[in-house]
Amino acid sequence: MTRFDAIVIGGGINGLAAATTLARKGKSVCLVEARNTLGGMATYAIGNGPPLANLLHNLSPAVLASMGVDPSAIKTRRLRTAVLGDAPVIVDGAAARMADGTPHPDSERFAGLVDRLTSYGALLRQLAEAPAPVGAPDTMARLRQLWRLGRFGMSVKRLGKVEMRRFLQLLLSNAYDAVLDELPDGPLTGMLAADAVRGAATGPRSPGTVFNLIYRMGHGGNPELPEGSMTQVFNVLADAAKNAGVTISTGVRVKQITLEDGYVTGVETDDGPLKAPLVLSTQSLPATVRSLGAAHLDIEATRRARHLRARGTVAKVNLQLNGLPELVHLPDPADQYRLLIAPSADYVETAFNPAKYGGMSDTPVIEAVIVQGATGPWLSANVQFAPSNLTGGWTDAAKDTLLKTTLAAFAPYVPGLEPRIESTQVITPSDIETATGTPGGHWHQAEMALDQLLTLRPVPGFERGRVGPAGLYLCGASAHPGGDVMGLAGRNAAFAVLEDLA
Amino acid sequence: MSVVTDPKIGLIDGPVHSRLDSLNRARGWYDWAGYAAPSVLDTMEFEYFALRNQASLLDISPMHKYRITGPDAGIVLNRMVTRDVGKIASGQVGYAVWCDEDGMVIDDGTLFRLGKDDWRLCCQEPMLDWLLEAAWGFDATVEDESHAVAALSLQGPTAYSVLSAAGLDVGDLKPFGIRDLGEVMISRTGFTGDLGYELWCHWDAAEALWDTLWTAGKNWGLRAIGYDAVDLARIEAGFMTAGVDFQPVHATERLNRGHTPFELNLGWLVDFSKGHFNGRGALEKVANSPRSLLLRVDVEGFKPAQGALVYSGKRREVGHVTSGIWSPTTKRSIALAHVKMPYATKRPENLWAEIYVEQEGQWHTRWARLTKVKGPFFAPPRARATPPAAT
Repeated sequence: MTRFDAIVIGGGINGLAAATTLARKGKSVCLVEARNTLGGMATYAIGNGPPLANLLHNLSPAVLASMGVDPSAIKTRRLRTAVLGDAPVIVDGAAARMADGTPHPDSERFAGLVDRLTSYGALLRQLAEAPAPVGAPDTMARLRQLWRLGRFGMSVKRLGKVEMRRFLQLLLSNAYDAVLDELPDGPLTGMLAADAVRGAATGPRSPGTVFNLIYRMGHGGNPELPEGSMTQVFNVLADAAKNAGVTISTGVRVKQITLEDGYVTGVETDDGPLKAPLVLSTQSLPATVRSLGAAHLDIEATRRARHLRARGTVAKVNLQLNGLPELVHLPDPADQYRLLIAPSADYVETAFNPAKYGGMSDTPVIEAVIVQGATGPWLSANVQFAPSNLTGGWTDAAKDTLLKTTLAAFAPYVPGLEPRIESTQVITPSDIETATGTPGGHWHQAEMALDQLLTLRPVPGFERGRVGPAGLYLCGASAHPGGDVMGLAGRNAAFAVLEDLA
Repeated sequence: MSVVTDPKIGLIDGPVHSRLDSLNRARGWYDWAGYAAPSVLDTMEFEYFALRNQASLLDISPMHKYRITGPDAGIVLNRMVTRDVGKIASGQVGYAVWCDEDGMVIDDGTLFRLGKDDWRLCCQEPMLDWLLEAAWGFDATVEDESHAVAALSLQGPTAYSVLSAAGLDVGDLKPFGIRDLGEVMISRTGFTGDLGYELWCHWDAAEALWDTLWTAGKNWGLRAIGYDAVDLARIEAGFMTAGVDFQPVHATERLNRGHTPFELNLGWLVDFSKGHFNGRGALEKVANSPRSLLLRVDVEGFKPAQGALVYSGKRREVGHVTSGIWSPTTKRSIALAHVKMPYATKRPENLWAEIYVEQEGQWHTRWARLTKVKGPFFAPPRARATPPAAT
């Protein structure tokens, strides 16, 4: 039986980031992944269908640096966003144009808003790129923590009086009011509203949704389509892990986190035991609690864990096509765009309404891209809102309804779509939960809400990702700062571990 | 967490209310978990001396009672309480205390092991919510038996003789033992530090049980009593009461009102060798650094020290008396007092109580020297003798 310094459970972006960061600091690390492929939720796919995550918009350069990955090794193609409609709008970064190339009438105000949100994103990234500022183990770590907080405070101060007030005012408010304060309702506000609630169980009028929009813009927020597919990105990351000396075991399921006298001793897998005094888990909090056994946690801790809010609202609808469909009113082929059905902020809010009560939207918000598969193109769509707690459950009939609703939503803007369809896949939040163990199939393992962020993520009491017995850490999307194909949660956990060991 | 009585409903009747009502010449009722419970039935002195010299009968049915069953029942309880419940054998009762994640006492109570995977927890505070939280994810069922199981407490030197006269022979039952007689279950437990038993039965069978004991007790000086008499007896026995001698932490709203078991002299109930339990992490850190101690003290003079402030060297205020009485049996003034560290252990002979005495409308203060006492103030050998003397 081999001994390691640390075991990382889960081979998604955060598991790879945590394992590689630790290995590059001289630790012997074993990464165990239950599936046969790396990439976690991002690369989960059915058959030869496209993976769950198609786009990169938040991959952290800091994570790549910690992993020793040359950013240029990750080849991507930047997409423009086409907000579909009778008069579609094409957005590229902060620039908004009409289909004929003329600037959108509100383009200046839009650019101002996007620039401001992007600068706020860069500001908040300071907090995201370090362990949550609480519970440092010793004086040095505490000083570092204070220094980081002080630096963040200074950065906010440096915005200037007016801009600082605007930042603080905006940070906790709702996306709907924030964007409609600047722009009349239409495709541009629809896009921002949709981006603010993607993956979340909120509508644009829900409080705190501006934060989610800013979070998305932490690294610019531009949709980048990986060359090849998401699997290629993870091949690069896996190579970095192997170069750093990480032992990667795929197809190995962790059954139990093992303990002795309140200290972690490793994991019991269906392949036998692995020993290490440190275990970092990318599993969701409830799954980690299950692997640990509730008896090893305080009652308050399990109470908080079971009341964690994680309700997935995004279903994946994949359509295998026999060729690219024509887009109405748009100059370029479909594979040049991120296609968005979110004609207004009101539309997005209305789409959310049924989800409050366990229903799916009959006019859904959709984000779709064309992905090249081995056998041809797929249109891969994130359809929202399709809540994990659908009344009556996700039966075949419910899946069929979701598919029909999706096709009906596309019909006005992509009229030639249906004849091109060869096959279809509907992956509901429940399917995602079953496949990945993430509660509610939630993208971030835990709702990105203000009461579940920073030092409160995923729940109060698990400071710096420490869970229960000494040596156990959360390092997945449910840890600070949260999910997306970003990797900071894993890197932060690795840094917290290194600080705790020092 | 006190039970709030609905003013429209008022206090409700316990299982033997008709019997108590006809005996309650003093008309002293108080609110015990929403039930009308007697504080005094005729005079507190008669009742107290019946308890210490003859036999006393008290309805303790308002106590909260929970049944925890299932294969994981023991795991759930071990997760919750600080002692190792595995050491409580079937047919035994164990005293236990349980803490929140910060190591502050939530409540104390008695754990009845009725079978391998069958437990009853009796306590003063409502605990259903907490038990359900503790049982979440485990193969165990929690049932609130508070309104289904009645209990009568038969305490005093002739208690065993009363039981014998009632045809319930439990001569070989040792302290903390349980005997199941079908209709009624008898445990040799109590809150008086004296020889005594608690009898458990179905709510509807309580009146009949009361009558049986009442008839059997005629020649043994049996007297129905209220809580005021028991309160004297429990202080003599050195027992603490939730909400009086410590604040159940879930019932506090202000910060830092809770106490660790170590601060309540219950360190012997904390077992760090049994694996994880609630508050363990916090308790390990503070095991050797109590902020204050609950002391048992002899009080100079004869004035009850209830509510007195405690001073070190008559100058520095270092604590207060939570329960202080003139003890009729030991013939001295005794008290339980919270005293801050280090004064509780450093020069304990220098501790003084400032007692406030009211005499016909005039208030005076009296300084009374406090002397620490180890163990209970009153612990008669008859309480532990098995078989008990047939007095």
